[in-house]
This record gives sequence, structure tokens and C-alpha cells, in this order.
Amino acid sequence: MNSRSHPTSLLLLAVALTIAASPAQAQQRDSLQALKRLTLDQLMNIEVTSVSRRAERLAQTASAIQVITQEDIRQSGATSLPEALRLAANLQVAQVDSRQWAISARGFNGTTANKLLVLIDGRTIYTPLFSGVFWDAQDVVLSDIDRIEVISGPGATLWGANAVNGVINVITKEAKDTPGLALVGGGGTELQGFGTARYGGTLGPRTNYRIYGTGVARDRTLLPNGQGAPDDWHIGQGGFRIDWDASASNRLTLQGDLYDGRSNQLRPGDVTLSGKNVIAKWAHTISANSDVGAQMYYDRTHRDIPGTFGEDLDIYDVDLQQRALLARHDVVWGVGYRLINDRVANSPGLAFLPPHVARQWFTAFVQDELALVAERLHVTLGTKIEHNDYTGFEIQPSGRLNWTLSPSSTGWAAISRAVRTPSRIDRELFVPAQPPYFLAGGPNFHSEEELAYEVGFRRQNGPWLLSLATFYSHYHGLRSLEQKNPPNPSPLVIGNGQDGESYGTELAATYRLSDRWRLRGGYTELRVHVWPNPGSTDTSRGATESHTPDRQLFLYSSLDMPAHLRLDGMFRYLSEIANQQLPGYAELNARFTWQPVAALDLSIVGQNLLHNRHAEFGTPTARRLIQRGVYGMAQWHF
Amino acid sequence: MALLTAITVLASSLLLVQGQSPRTSEYQLKAVFLFNFAQFVDWPPSAAQDSQPPQPPQPPLLIGILGDDPFGSFLDETVRGERVGARPIQVRRYRRIADIEECNILFISRSENERVPDILSVFKNRAVLTVSDADDFASQGGIIEFFTDKSRIRLRINLDAADAAKLTISSKLLRVAEVVRTPRR
Repeated sequence: MNSRSHPTSLLLLAVALTIAASPAQAQQRDSLQALKRLTLDQLMNIEVTSVSRRAERLAQTASAIQVITQEDIRQSGATSLPEALRLAANLQVAQVDSRQWAISARGFNGTTANKLLVLIDGRTIYTPLFSGVFWDAQDVVLSDIDRIEVISGPGATLWGANAVNGVINVITKEAKDTPGLALVGGGGTELQGFGTARYGGTLGPRTNYRIYGTGVARDRTLLPNGQGAPDDWHIGQGGFRIDWDASASNRLTLQGDLYDGRSNQLRPGDVTLSGKNVIAKWAHTISANSDVGAQMYYDRTHRDIPGTFGEDLDIYDVDLQQRALLARHDVVWGVGYRLINDRVANSPGLAFLPPHVARQWFTAFVQDELALVAERLHVTLGTKIEHNDYTGFEIQPSGRLNWTLSPSSTGWAAISRAVRTPSRIDRELFVPAQPPYFLAGGPNFHSEEELAYEVGFRRQNGPWLLSLATFYSHYHGLRSLEQKNPPNPSPLVIGNGQDGESYGTELAATYRLSDRWRLRGGYTELRVHVWPNPGSTDTSRGATESHTPDRQLFLYSSLDMPAHLRLDGMFRYLSEIANQQLPGYAELNARFTWQPVAALDLSIVGQNLLHNRHAEFGTPTARRLIQRGVYGMAQWHF
Repeated sequence: MALLTAITVLASSLLLVQGQSPRTSEYQLKAVFLFNFAQFVDWPPSAAQDSQPPQPPQPPLLIGILGDDPFGSFLDETVRGERVGARPIQVRRYRRIADIEECNILFISRSENERVPDILSVFKNRAVLTVSDADDFASQGGIIEFFTDKSRIRLRINLDAADAAKLTISSKLLRVAEVVRTPRR
């Protein structure tokens, strides 16, 4: 199976590299002319942060990055972070039920998808329970988001062990950018009611703050037989952010959130979740050529799913990093420490054993971007070294080549190694809670390894923004279920008996037809193959590890009409998820807005308009049907 | 089939590339900002001759760099062949304050960080647009300070200093900048 697909992928890489390496003459004048044509506003807005954890222009980053702006989020009518993430063509996003989502990049999607790293303002939000994200607990105020950077492909060298297939970096606005009182409220059929109040002000000449409160109630989805699934769901959240510009070279940020939510479920008893977090950050400029940043945070989550499991988790995290420019070198290095204290309440049906664990991670990374040809050809070499309690040291190096074709165009290529280190679910999950076990943990589970090859191109010029990435990844030691004492079918243990590969292309484009009309589109082709290694008794061929459509397309039109009206439409198509017998589907969201005065914005939004009901994820008996929804919304800004 | 499509798309999009050139660094961007300042600031007639009699050769608009030059060739390339009105732009480099003749824009390198108050006292009330990325440059009496905020270049403009120098700064430039006043002592 793997020998069948390698040659094609290698050919693809070869073709791409050949084209990318074709000779071209430097014409410095062109690039300068392009820069000089930018307006002052544009000049002040041309940097992004996450790819190298430092400043870099989007058009020049050597990775498959897509950016969702505040404008995109607002105009799309998205009402939750997962809905906003549908705007990134390089993500696979599926709504599972009223509160659960399956989100991944480059395949391997599932409700416990484990190869994606998600950060909100520098705080990692994955759970060490399964290395994934509980999306229901991430109720970010969408209007306070500055941008979301979505990187598909390995980001492990800088970002860490979870960034096997991608990084999502949610960046909220600085407090000074959210002044005054803002109120948002509305409701409708599926999204029954929601409201947000936010106030921003100053605490001194160089200190800004904001406080907010938000809440949402969502209607139940449907069971496959059309009856209501008891999963109505509501959550409330409040929080604050303070930015203090202590001096020209020192900046401090303190922010925190508090949330509490509740959902019905099929079993008796409501699902409850709550949590709080606080993060402090310090950024210091040492000189024009060097800066240093430090951050520490505490994150507590509580989750109770009666009859299944409960969890109380505390995370403590400290990070330090420095950047230095030395002649032709641009060096970033950092160290980090992370401690988790996880207490699980087990049920008769399943157990994490031992129920209470404390685990720690030590990380260090260094990366050097070297100008091979000044301002044109850069090579970036780096590695992350991590120590975890399960597998000891892990090394994740990467090499990137960044070829600046013009200020607006970049070609890039990368080879990266990344690992997905064990989480509690891989080592400590037992089903049922008492012997005889059907599933008896994974005492020997070690890290899943990935070797990824990527080639991409990006062009940002005038009304056009075009981004293309192609990739081939090989995975070794993917999670498998092995018979402990073959040929006895049970117990099973979790092992590393599968290998796999994925390859595909991600294309995204934005085109501004005029100041009033903007189009955005994305198309992704993706193939994932998983097969058992010799000696493995797993025959699932990845059916437990990856639920991903082969292709997806989205088109988004945003039209500013006369008389303070605007119309936004977003169409999406996803092909079938074969190993769930889930048919492909097409859906349309539309938003109609009237802005009678600058401070007031009234809109009506239709979600999933093409069908009465549709499913996005799950096997035929387990899936939930998502219904067409309509809601109205009002936004005031004083 | 999909891969074929991918290759076709990749190939065709790469062919869209025309111009090739250097990547933008901090000082390339700052050089473009300096070039913009020349467009968005008006000098009093004494320093910048009135552009009314356009005929015979106009004196060049001079951009000076004091101290270590962080721009390399960026600034020269940025202004080469450019004009402000009818005036060509020229770049001069100075090691010492005493070397500086009549210049319109003076960029003070961070190498002069310690000497900023001394330098500014020399140019106080002269029609010279002082620019620097030295710490607290604007609050010390410099006219335009570059600072970096969340990886973006920002401007801080001291309007009192600009008034004292009799420079008129366009509202377009003021709108994107943070405006400060000289602290009263």
C-alpha cells in the first residue's frame, strides 16, 4: 500500500521543486516599487507572528499558513470558534452535535483528534487526556479576536509535541483596541439565544483594560431517526485583559477567563463543565536586534459526564524565549516547563488507571534562519527537544527553505519530523473499569512519528492573495488496537502497530473585486492511508484514527451594498467520509446586514440553508443531524 | 487525477510570478517609511525652497543618517530616481553632528542612543525632521519615533517638536501615528 503511493507523491514534489527552482532574475526595483505603492495603513500592517514565533510577513512565511481576520469572522456570521474555523480551507471542520466538534488539519480527524495544537493568546488549550481539544469549553468572544492564524503541517520545532499536523493560533485584540461599551445579542431557531457585553477603558496613561461577559444557548440536534437528541446546551463565560506598556521596551499583559456550561445527554444526569485560567506575559526589548518574552499561566478545567467519566485538571505552564539578530542569522530559542495534575473520576464502563496523575514536560527549542542569499534565499534550521514522563526525550527537527520571489511572492519547501507523544488515553484507558478487561491500556504505547515533506507558494499582490501548499507525510507507529494474547480477541491493548501516509494539496485565494466586493475560496484534496505493520493484529485500516473527506471546497462572498446593506454568503462542500459511510454534503450560510448608523448593526443569518437536516460526522447509528437554523442579531458599539 | 490537478494548479500559479526581489526586512520597511515622510511633511520655504518657480534645478531633499547605518543599501535604492515635487532625494551619511550640513530629514541611528538629548538640542527649532528608533525618542523631543508593537512598525509623533521645527505634518500621517507632546519639566 505504501509503495503504491510514494512514487506519485515524490513525483509531485519533484515537479514542484523543479518549477520552484527555475532560474529568475532579481529585479529589486519591482519589489521596492511594490512596497512604495502601499499606503501608510498597509505599511503598518504587514507582519504576522506565529510561524517562527516572531515577526514575519505573511507572504514570506515558509509554511502553509492561512489567516482568518476579524473582518472575515464578523462577516461570516460565525457564532462560535469552530464555526469561524470553517473559514480556513486548510482545516477539516465537522459539527458532531450541539456542543462537540471534530477539527483537524491534514486528516486524522475525530472527536478525539490528537495531532493539532491550538493556542488562545499563547495558552495551549489541548487536554492531556487525549492530546486534543474540548471545543465546547472554548467560548472566545468572536468580536474581540484580532485574527486566527491557521498553519497546516508540522509546527513541532517551535510549537511542541502536539503540532504534528497543524497549529491554530487565536490572537485576541489588545485592550486598547476594544475601547468603550459594546453589546451583542440575538437568538433564533438552533442558536436559541446569545449575548455579549464588553467594556474597555484605561487604568492610567499606559494601561488599558477590558472586561466581558458572554453566554449562549443552543438547541438540541436530532438522532438519526429524526427524534430530538437530548443535547441542548448552554455556557456562560466572563473575563478580562489588561495591557500595561510599562516603558518603550517593556510590556506586560494579564488576562483571564471563567466559564460554566451544561448540556443534556442520553444518560441520566447533565454534562457539566467549568473552568478558569489566567495568563501573565512580559515582552522586553533588549536592543534593536534582540528581544525576550516570558509567559506563565494556570488553567483549570472541570468536566463531569455522569455515567462515563469526570475530570479535574490543573495545568501550570512557564515559557521563555529570546530572539536575536546576528549578522546573517536570525536566531530564536526558548525553554518551557509544563506540569499537569489530572484527577479522573471513573465509571463502571471505563477507567483511567491510575485515576490521579501528575506529569511534567520540559522543552527547549532553537531555530536559526540564515540568509543564504541576503533578502532572497533563506534557510531555517531548528529543533525542539522535549522530555516527557512517558517516553523520555523526543527530538523534532525541521528544515525550511524560503525563497522570496518578490515582496509579494514566496516559494517555500520544508522537511520536518514531528511526534505525537502519548496522552492518558493511549496508556491508561481501561474498559470496563474492572477485570476482565476488554481494553487493557497501552503499557508499551510510544510516540507516533511523522516525517513530512511540504512545498508551497504564496502570492499577495493588490487584490489577490493566493496560497498553495502540497504535502506528503509518512507516519510510523500510529495508534492501533492489538490482541494481547492472540488469537484471543480480547483483551485488546493499545499499541503502535500501524503506519500511514497522507498527501494532498491545499489551495486558498482571496480576491477583492472592488472595495465593496470580496471573494474568498478554498479547495483541499487530501488522501489518508493507514495500514497494519507486520505482526499487528489491528485490521481497522485507520477506521478508528482518521475520519476525513477526500476533498472540500468553500466559497465565500462578501458584498457591501448601497443603503448601508450588506450580503454575505458562504458555500461549502465536503465529500463523503468513507469509513463512516457518511455521505458528502453541500451547505450554505447567508447573512444579511443593515447598518442604519455606524454604531448599530442589525443582521439576520441563515445557517445550513440547503437542507432541512444533515450530518457532518459519525457512523450511521452514532451520528447527529444538524438542522437548518435562522437567527437574528443586533450589535451596538458606544 | 487529484494529483494531476494539483500539479497543474501548482505549475500555473508559479508561472504567475513575475518580479523577483529581496524580502522585506525591518530596515527596508523603515526606509520606505522615510521615503513616505518626505511626501507627507511640508518644510517651511526657508529650508525647502518653494516649489513654485519650478524651472531651474531644485535643491535636493536631503535625508541624513547619523551614526551606524542600519539601512545598508535599502534607503538608497528606495529613493533612487524619486522626487518630492520637483526635488530629487539624496542620502547622506554622517559620523558626527558637526558634519551635518543642511538636511531635511535626519535619521538618528540606535548607535547614538546615549547621545539623543545632545543631538536633539542641536536641531531644536531647526526645520529638520528628526526620526529615530531610539528608545523614548519622541518623548525626549524627537519628532518621529519608530517603535515596534506586536511585530508591526508603529509611529509616535511629537507634535510640539514638529511645531517648534515649523514642520507641517499631513493629517494622513498623523492619523496612523500615536501623537505625543513634550513633557513639561
